[in-house]
Amino acid sequence: MANTPNMLTVTIDGIRTQVPEGTLLIEAARQVGVMVPHFCYHPKLAPDANCRMCLVEIEKIPKLQTSCSTRVAEGMVVRSSVPHVEAARKSVLELLLGNHPLDCPVCDQGGRCDLQDFSHEYTPTVSRFKELKRVFPKQYLGPVIETQMNRCVSCMRCVRYCDEVMDAQALAADGRGTLTQITHWAGNELECDMCGGCIQICPVGAITSRLSMYDYRPWMLKRAETICSYCGDGCQITVQQKNDQLIEVNSALGAGRNNGDLCVRGYFGYHAAVHPDRVQHPLVRQADGSFAEVTWEEALERVARELTTIKAKHGADAIGGFITARCTNEDLYLFQKFMRVVVGTNQIDSSVRYGHINGVRALRRVQGTHRWTVRYEDMAQADAIMLVGTNVNEANPITALHVKQAVKQGGAQLITLESFLPVRSTVSNIATLSRHHLTVTSGQFAAAILGLVKAVVESDLVHEDITKQAPEFVQTIRTNVAKVSWQAIQEQSGLSQEDIEAAARAYSQAERAVVLVGRDVLRSLGGEGLVTNLMDLQILTGHLRREGSGLGCLAEENNEQGAVEMGAVAGYFPGPTGLDDEESQRNLTQAWGRAVPQGVPATLPNMLTRARAGAIKSLFIVGENPVESLPGDAGVTGALDALEFLVCQELFLTETAKRAHVVFPACSAMEKDGTFTNTEGHVQPVRQSIEPLGESRPDWEMFSALSVLMEHPIEYGEVREIFKEIRGVIPGYGLLGPASTPPKVDESTVAQYVTSGFKEDVDRRYALDPSSASPEGAMTLRLVQSLYHSGKYSTRAKGLMEIEGEGLLQINSREARRLGIEDGKTVLLSNDCEQATVSVKLNDRVPDAVAWFPEHFDQSVRALFTLKVDPHTHVPVWKTTYMTMTKVS
Amino acid sequence: MIFDKHQETVDDILSRYPVKRSAMLPLLNLAQKEEGYVSQAAMREIAGILDLTPPQVFETATFYTMLNLKPIGKFHIQVCRSLMCALVGADPLIEWLHKHLGIGMGQTTGDKLFTLSTVECLGSCGTGPMMQINDDYYERLTEERVGLILRDLRESGDCSMKSGPFMVPERGEGVVSS
Amino acid sequence: MKTFDKILLTNMERPGYTGSLSDYEGTGGYKALKTVLGNVPPNDIVEMVKKSGLRGRGGAGFPTGVKWGFIPKDHPGPKYLCCNADESEPGTFKDRQLMERDPHQILEGIAISCYAIGAQTAYIYIRGEFRLATKILERAIAEANQVGHLGSDIYGSGITVHVYVHVGAGAYICGEETALLESLEGKRGKPRTKPPFPATHGLYQKPTVVNNVETLANVPHIVNRGAEWFASIGAPPKSTGTRVFCLSGHVKRPGNYELPVNATFRDLIYELGGGMRSDKPLKAFIPGGASAPFLTPDHVDVQLDFESVALAGSMSGSGGITVMEEGTSMVWAALRLMEFFYHESCGKCTPCREGSAWIVQILQRILNKQGRPEDLRTLTEICENIGGRTVCAFGDAEIAPVQSTLKYWRAEYEVLIEEAEALKTSRKEIPVLSLS
Ligand SMILES: Cc1cc2nc3c(=O)[nH]c(=O)nc-3n(C[C@H](O)[C@H](O)[C@H](O)COP(=O)(O)O)c2cc1C
Ligand code: SF4
Ligand code: FES
Repeated sequence: MANTPNMLTVTIDGIRTQVPEGTLLIEAARQVGVMVPHFCYHPKLAPDANCRMCLVEIEKIPKLQTSCSTRVAEGMVVRSSVPHVEAARKSVLELLLGNHPLDCPVCDQGGRCDLQDFSHEYTPTVSRFKELKRVFPKQYLGPVIETQMNRCVSCMRCVRYCDEVMDAQALAADGRGTLTQITHWAGNELECDMCGGCIQICPVGAITSRLSMYDYRPWMLKRAETICSYCGDGCQITVQQKNDQLIEVNSALGAGRNNGDLCVRGYFGYHAAVHPDRVQHPLVRQADGSFAEVTWEEALERVARELTTIKAKHGADAIGGFITARCTNEDLYLFQKFMRVVVGTNQIDSSVRYGHINGVRALRRVQGTHRWTVRYEDMAQADAIMLVGTNVNEANPITALHVKQAVKQGGAQLITLESFLPVRSTVSNIATLSRHHLTVTSGQFAAAILGLVKAVVESDLVHEDITKQAPEFVQTIRTNVAKVSWQAIQEQSGLSQEDIEAAARAYSQAERAVVLVGRDVLRSLGGEGLVTNLMDLQILTGHLRREGSGLGCLAEENNEQGAVEMGAVAGYFPGPTGLDDEESQRNLTQAWGRAVPQGVPATLPNMLTRARAGAIKSLFIVGENPVESLPGDAGVTGALDALEFLVCQELFLTETAKRAHVVFPACSAMEKDGTFTNTEGHVQPVRQSIEPLGESRPDWEMFSALSVLMEHPIEYGEVREIFKEIRGVIPGYGLLGPASTPPKVDESTVAQYVTSGFKEDVDRRYALDPSSASPEGAMTLRLVQSLYHSGKYSTRAKGLMEIEGEGLLQINSREARRLGIEDGKTVLLSNDCEQATVSVKLNDRVPDAVAWFPEHFDQSVRALFTLKVDPHTHVPVWKTTYMTMTKVS
Repeated sequence: MIFDKHQETVDDILSRYPVKRSAMLPLLNLAQKEEGYVSQAAMREIAGILDLTPPQVFETATFYTMLNLKPIGKFHIQVCRSLMCALVGADPLIEWLHKHLGIGMGQTTGDKLFTLSTVECLGSCGTGPMMQINDDYYERLTEERVGLILRDLRESGDCSMKSGPFMVPERGEGVVSS
Repeated sequence: MKTFDKILLTNMERPGYTGSLSDYEGTGGYKALKTVLGNVPPNDIVEMVKKSGLRGRGGAGFPTGVKWGFIPKDHPGPKYLCCNADESEPGTFKDRQLMERDPHQILEGIAISCYAIGAQTAYIYIRGEFRLATKILERAIAEANQVGHLGSDIYGSGITVHVYVHVGAGAYICGEETALLESLEGKRGKPRTKPPFPATHGLYQKPTVVNNVETLANVPHIVNRGAEWFASIGAPPKSTGTRVFCLSGHVKRPGNYELPVNATFRDLIYELGGGMRSDKPLKAFIPGGASAPFLTPDHVDVQLDFESVALAGSMSGSGGITVMEEGTSMVWAALRLMEFFYHESCGKCTPCREGSAWIVQILQRILNKQGRPEDLRTLTEICENIGGRTVCAFGDAEIAPVQSTLKYWRAEYEVLIEEAEALKTSRKEIPVLSLS
């Protein structure tokens, strides 16, 4: 697609340079080190040229021109620091300052304010403006954002960002001329993605965060760059503190995969780390069931002793480990090493089990790598992007920004198979950008994906190469999909044949196509098969091997990708490689100086079953909370109560930790060093940015300390040494920096798959399961992720709780009308299992006959749900149920 | 819903433009005609029809001075204060209206009948002073004429002194040898 | 005064002429359209209009045929014509009369122009206050559609022209062509940065021509009577034809007068306008709408054409001529216009937005006898910093009243400031300002 661009010569302040055609003058100037002052220009936004600050002189053009909107032409000669250009700048500043209040001493932007900096550089200290300044009252925009419109310079960056980048269109310019102010609309409280982008992009202090307002002067802040721990996008954040107090988090243009953008969780969610409920001291349970604070020595020794005893008495496989994929690679690696080397068991699993594993298995099977073969940059070049069950804006907001940009600026066609409706509101909705939107809710994805494959096969969209190379593969799928009628597909997916065919055509005919798969597929029964079928779709259309095309599974937790690669998931060694891989066994034995354990792996559901049966006597649970992550009927409490010894390493006394015998206080991601691997596969440095709270320690230190006490010392001076070891075990690990290319598909794996590998389960994958239909007359109740939260951790963040502090049942207004329910009213939900009373919030994105409830607040409704475990991948699935809803008067 | 009973008009408006958003001003004008001002409900509805967000409708609405975002009186008196009308006596007339109606600028009389505003040039500089009341222009005003106009409006809701198709100078009047 | 034919006002000045379709057809209306549609190649019409020397009547005076020539010929997608009926320039009220009295003259002009540039759709962007003109235009369009002067396949030629009236809602800036396009797209009427120009990236980013009502109304006449005829009127070669001048202010007979552009201000003000309203002498006049710098009695013999007025240091602009008699305060007059500009600035550009507010405040102060000696220098410099530094020509327009009154009537400012200085000792300074 992208040809090498034409290079043009331009001379700026005497410096000659060459820039690609289309480059803006202001960017060309920056490249040669000439900084042209500006307010309204921002590299992320289309030029608006409203502030008139960036005027420059261009030879042969009589009037001064705005360098932010003028593109370089061949041979242009530009001057930016001649007297009349500087005079023009001075004048713009004088005009802006005329109406600007003199509140710099209390302004949050003071010290990092463009207006201040340029004033310092260009204007005299006395103002000629002696008139009355315009005065706007302070505006409460919402719980976390406040505007001080007297400071506004009308550059419209906030409004433009909200529209062009976020696609939320939540900010409005109210009024005309000098009395224009930025607001939401008509005095209504701000409702939006709350990404904080408007605060960050404001060149002055006109839009401020209420979380840190008046708390600091920017130069007092100590800054540290690290990675956000809320989702798999892995945004680079700058954590700022004053006197060891966490003040705010923001991000820098050009830094990280997010390039300065953040979502609400990254921007406003930082307080979770310093929540007063944090466990700050090692705790040991007393005879009366209460916890006592003990010294580290005491706690560690107790655990070492108990584990050693249990191992001695019942064998290593009487101990299991379960760790959260929110830990660093180093933590994850060391935990599995501890379990394998010190304890001597393969019974280790992580939260990857909740669904990401489905994608990993399918990708490994079909293309030989479980990683993305595309990266964000490929989306910008893509002709089509297909989102399948992701609600990407909520789960992976920065990936969503790349999709938005690809669609809005790159002209990619968006195809969405999503469980929500393309209704527009001031919270951005990716489906409103979709050219082919198919509303598919849980239980319908299998039919919808099968429909896509059927459409490709039957509408002659199969790529000729694959027909030649793997005739049997194509023929088998053809035969299989022929057995499923369009009528059956329509019934089970709720989609029309035409819509499916149109989407299939758009995908197949695109030169470059990126598919992103999310939780509605990954965290579902048969999720592995669904991803495999989507891989088949790639093979059939020729996209699998094509440069710039590929399929990515979206990691929901920040380090799910890393957890898999560190071997912290049942059935895999670091790499990941299979436990039966002899070369790995040999290498690891050598690297670890100890034979790898031969015991069978155990997944989380396995371990719970084994615990209930008395086969597992002790669990070591790191940062996970299965009591609240699984429904009541999963028997988690029964399993935990049956244990002889439970160790939890935690930030908070969760319902799981409350059952522990020993609780180790762990550091949050902000308090430790290490690396996270984001959903694309980028390994990024995590740096300690605040002091550990109380006596909390980084997770890996506990494993190391225990290993010493358990007489198999695995010791490291600092976390970097662990990473060095990881790189020895997984050659080249971490090399994938932002500039390098993603892995390619493994040709031999693909060849093996299309000749024979596919056969194993092809019949099962291409048959519809009639049991997935919803019962007559019932409503579907789904636990969904909210944009404003991530797991339960975020419910400890005060900013996020002010935005969304309770769980409300969401239904669309049609359903509400049908049921005679109004916004804010209480309803009773009931099914065979249980009843629950909740309040209702109208949300027109929710499809008919469906209700959503944010999973972060699921306590009140969890009892309505029942657990199903995927027989093949052991993924516990339970976030959908059926119920009836009645009004409570 | 405000536009429900105007479905045909709305469809007709939408049919004129290849891009929906172009129907913004026509719909805002229609809403104001219907309710006397542009209500929040109307903006919400327009956003729905045009597939936009309410802030997008709001920010457009606030740019245009003819759109009232708050309820006003039954008759909106808008007197031109621009130079050309001022040269021929707009200012005293505005003063007179203040006194006569007993209200300040932008205010509405207690009986909700009249709202008084000044506006910038309305394009009848040759026939000033002038004012617009709702859809109609009234030109070549004097205090006496304004008094009669207000009386008529109060009494019958209409006034025959409004301007018809514009022609100034009138046919023949002032035409020198041409 | 030379004798001449009126062009645009001829019909409406006929006794009993109502502007109805039959009236218009009765005077030969739509003949031009019938003649050219499908018979004369569109490009020939463009050339004809070029040759006629017709220049835009909206303010900038850009040669109309040349503007049409910028429309890419083989552009595959839709093209648009926008008729600028926003007429908001203070002192201008000609388009209103053309629309209310003879709407079909405009519609015929629109249809021919659409044909010439290959547009199938035309929007008449009319200011929201012109309710009556809107009704009259809409009725005329309905009539023309009904008998087939407009619509699909006009006269069986295969040519389609749909005309719609688009009603604004109160914003002077929407007369600026790119602001008009933004507004027509349903947005805030903020001018766009150029390039790209409307000819290539106009309405919906498609090739678009924006022409003033009066400009388009001339087109049928040029077609009927030939480019040479039109080019011979006025002040060829650069300013041709007649213009409808709007006379307002302190004259006996204000109104719209159509004159060939080689007539003079004296012809207009004294002969047609009957001279000054009272017996006071002429003090100042604005020669081309509020955006044009003021001129003095020394300039009454200047010709009305674009070049002559420019040479005199002002501009012929929209053709609105406002006359002020001796005794009018020029500081007050400048302030009144500044208040207009302050009220109407879209707020996009810093210099225009902040500058207009600042100037208004200074002028208010000076007028209220609170001026300071340094004010005049400040005013001059603010003006210099607005001119040529903004996205659209509004910035250049808004400084015209201040700069020109400062140039010719500086003494009036100085007297007020001296009075303020004198008062200063006797009273405390309290600014009396109103901005909203
Ligand atoms: C601030 C501003 C206001 C304008 N207002 C009008 C207007 O009300 N009517 C008009 O025809 N042109 C107006 N113009 C001129 C238009 O931008 C444009 O030049 C004109 O419509 C082109 O048509 P013409 O070439 O036929 O004159 C205005 C220009 C500016 C800068
Ligand atoms: S010059 Fe004034 S009116 Fe024109 S775009 Fe700039 S701010 Fe708006
Ligand atoms: S940065 Fe160029 S005009 Fe604002």
